[in-house]
Amino acid sequence: MKILTTVKRVTDPDMKVRIQPDQSGIVTEGVEYKMNSFDEYGVEEAITLKEAHGGEVVVVSIGPGAATKELRTAMAMGADRAILVETDADLDSDAVARVLAEVVGREEPDVIIMGKQAVDSDRSQTPQILGSYLNWPQATFAYKVEIEDGWAVVGREVDGGTATKRIKLPGIISADLRLNEPRYASLPGIMKAKRKPLETLTPDDLGVDIAPKVKVLNYEAPEERGAGEMVDDVDDLINRLKDEARVI
Amino acid sequence: MSEYLIDRRDMDFTLFDYLGLEDLLELPRYQGYDRETFEIVMAQAQRFAAEKLAPTNEEADHQGCRLEDGKVYLPDSYGDLYKEFCEIGLFAPVHSPEHGGMGLPQALGMALAEMMLTAHPSFMFLPGLTVSAAHLIEAFGTDRDIELYLERMYTGQWTGTMCLTEPQAGSALGELTTTAKEVEGEDYYQIAGNKIFISAGDHQLTENIIHLVLARAEGDAEGIRGVSLFIVPKNRVDADGKVTGPNDVTITGIEEKMGIHASPTCAISFGDNGECQGWLVGERGRGINYMFQMMNEARLVTGLQGVAIGNSAYQAALAYAQERKQGPKVTDRSGEQTSVAIIEHPDVRRNLMTMKAYGEAIRAMLYNSAYLSDHALHNEDEAAKTKAQDMLDLLTPICKAFASDVGFKMTELAMQVLGGYGYIKEYGIEQQMRDVKIASIYEGTNGIQALDLLGRKMRQKGGALFMTWMQDTNEFLIPLAEDEFFGDMAKEVDKGKNVLGEAAFLFQSTGKKDPEYPLLHATPFLRMFGLVESARLLLEQAALARTKLQAIWEEHGVESDDQEARDELSERNDEVLYYENKIKTASFFIYQLLPEARAMLKSIQSEDRSALDIKF
Ligand SMILES: Cc1cc2nc3c(=O)[nH]c(=O)nc-3n(C[C@H](O)[C@H](O)[C@H](O)COP(=O)(O)OP(=O)(O)OC[C@H]3O[C@@H](n4cnc5c(N)ncnc54)[C@H](O)[C@@H]3O)c2cc1C
Repeated sequence: MKILTTVKRVTDPDMKVRIQPDQSGIVTEGVEYKMNSFDEYGVEEAITLKEAHGGEVVVVSIGPGAATKELRTAMAMGADRAILVETDADLDSDAVARVLAEVVGREEPDVIIMGKQAVDSDRSQTPQILGSYLNWPQATFAYKVEIEDGWAVVGREVDGGTATKRIKLPGIISADLRLNEPRYASLPGIMKAKRKPLETLTPDDLGVDIAPKVKVLNYEAPEERGAGEMVDDVDDLINRLKDEARVI
Repeated sequence: MSEYLIDRRDMDFTLFDYLGLEDLLELPRYQGYDRETFEIVMAQAQRFAAEKLAPTNEEADHQGCRLEDGKVYLPDSYGDLYKEFCEIGLFAPVHSPEHGGMGLPQALGMALAEMMLTAHPSFMFLPGLTVSAAHLIEAFGTDRDIELYLERMYTGQWTGTMCLTEPQAGSALGELTTTAKEVEGEDYYQIAGNKIFISAGDHQLTENIIHLVLARAEGDAEGIRGVSLFIVPKNRVDADGKVTGPNDVTITGIEEKMGIHASPTCAISFGDNGECQGWLVGERGRGINYMFQMMNEARLVTGLQGVAIGNSAYQAALAYAQERKQGPKVTDRSGEQTSVAIIEHPDVRRNLMTMKAYGEAIRAMLYNSAYLSDHALHNEDEAAKTKAQDMLDLLTPICKAFASDVGFKMTELAMQVLGGYGYIKEYGIEQQMRDVKIASIYEGTNGIQALDLLGRKMRQKGGALFMTWMQDTNEFLIPLAEDEFFGDMAKEVDKGKNVLGEAAFLFQSTGKKDPEYPLLHATPFLRMFGLVESARLLLEQAALARTKLQAIWEEHGVESDDQEARDELSERNDEVLYYENKIKTASFFIYQLLPEARAMLKSIQSEDRSALDIKF
């Protein structure tokens, strides 16, 4: 089985994000980057599936040259080879999906496993858009994946509970955070990953026009959250949830 | 539970920008590595420290170790933790890749060790002692020893210990009474004797434990010259490493102690039944030489405990001081007396700044020592190699003693910042204080380190080590003294350097008439040296920070004398803030802490002998 999995290099979610004075973007000086955490679940699942069913895990990233670090990390965890589609542009989800569709056309995987969203832009769109470009079935927000006889049985997190969906492969699965516990890249694994193949392409090589369809007008920081308030007792809490917050 | 906090920014700056870790890639040993690999390794170690080690530290301290039916049991969390720790390959990151180590640079290893020591000081005794023992076997053992033990130890399959101390032989190891008797027709000796205070002396995590034991072979000289080193496995093994049965090694007790409760400190009896087999390492009578070679490495790790635990106490105190509101700001004239975060109070700021300055200085000191060992071990240019080894020799006792004392002091300052909340268990400071104290006692007490510095290192090669250090320091300071921005600071550090020179000179002249007098001042002298070296390192870092700042200002079109524009930039740019703080940190150290060195010189010059003359 050939499994394609995707990783995005994102700003470290634990860092304080600052907006440029002209509101054109965020301040990137001194910012740390790491692998999108939902993608870590995706990579882990891809490797687990390979361990169970055999085959190959190909990991893809679209991003700057420095994203080789995230690709190497995925290979250190156990992916077999990597493809970097190199661009410094900040792609919208549609462009990402079109680039990925081309990569999928070349690689012809049996299944694609992606993070359900990237923790920097939090859009949660790319797996779904990719599904429509490829015309493949999708099962999003997976907390459990089983593969048998060319089908994937996917337990999904949905509003108010869980649901199970069966999709025929090839298909797309997006990972939620209860799916697994991503393994550590072992030090021997990290050394080995240096020798695994990493192919670098550009959107041009794939014939994809990455000009954005979404126009970003400006960036604004959300309002600072006010300090919490101590309530006297449970009754007070319930009253205020009813009367002031109107949530119950 | 206390949070896992490390200053990754300062670690990275020290490692990559200040020391230039990437320069090490030119050494043949490290070719094939690259910065990306180092960063991935650091990310994994940090993740493991934060997710696995740190969350179990407090509970492990609470649970402690116990001895039952002659077996030592470690905290419940250790089983899984140990297994995972070995699996991800963090056991011997810098040791020989040919034997199961990872072969990474020593300097990088320091940063990895800081991350993990911060998270769980007790746990780190296990790998720490094991790789030390294994390294000794690698350096001085036979082919059989290497074949049998090395990979098993570097990968954590078996652990190791260092058995030096006996009840009557602590600092004075020559007094030891453990004996080794040749056995006719066999390649082993029969070992008999009692060791105490042996860290990681027993546990049930691995199938075997390899003790390295100092003992006196029958017929050899009294005193230190008759001491040899033996490999004594807890269980006997065949040539394939299969355990065949016990080797007459008995655990007779474990200590109740102040800190590192989750590291067992064992009393071990070897050869109660006359059946304990031990294999000689190297030549007879050279045990102490071998041990010292290894101990230098262990001394650096001990200094690093001060760096790790001290800095983590600082981080906790800093976070607390930003949250805790108490009392109005002294400049508040509004009459409303609104309480502010205690970080607004000058006295608290001084405590925090003292910790920050000490913390960054000892980090630079320890990382630098590892960087020196990289060159001492692997540089192919003989002159560069020798010089690195010389500086490492000179600075090792300072790294060990100054950093462990300062680390303890930092936990004390941190406790002061938290007040009553520091003294109770909740914030973890009291555990840090208990855990770090041992670093000033074992691996040669700090008093013994001071003797080593004054009596050996200052005299080594006819005083050439110290002269080289003076020269290097001059080379850095002389041009900087002309610098508009750093000139005054450079002059202060230069005074500090001269103070050291004067003290050394004075010891030389008085020492001849009154040999006890210099020894009375050995500990202050080591501290003076630590202060001056700290100031030098921080000033070098500050100068580099200034260069980085200028580049950023230029890029943003900010004039270096436009304070408003600079402030505005540092508001929104963490890089700028870090560099500006680095310069302030150096300034604080040089003007507030370094002057202590001058006061110490005054006390040395006094020729006051009352501590020697008094009849207690
Ligand atoms: C938790 C813990 C773990 C340990 N782990 C190990 C281990 O794994 N293996 C091992 O072998 N040992 C271990 N030790 C022992 C430790 O190394 C010794 O405690 C240490 O070497 C000091 O010896 P001592 O306690 O006998 O003190 P002493 O040697 O009695 O020293 C007492 C004081 O006298 C001073 N002093 C002694 N001699 C001189 C001198 N000549 N000049 C000036 N001052 C002097 C010392 O500096 C010290 O202040 C451990 C100890 C502890 C508490």
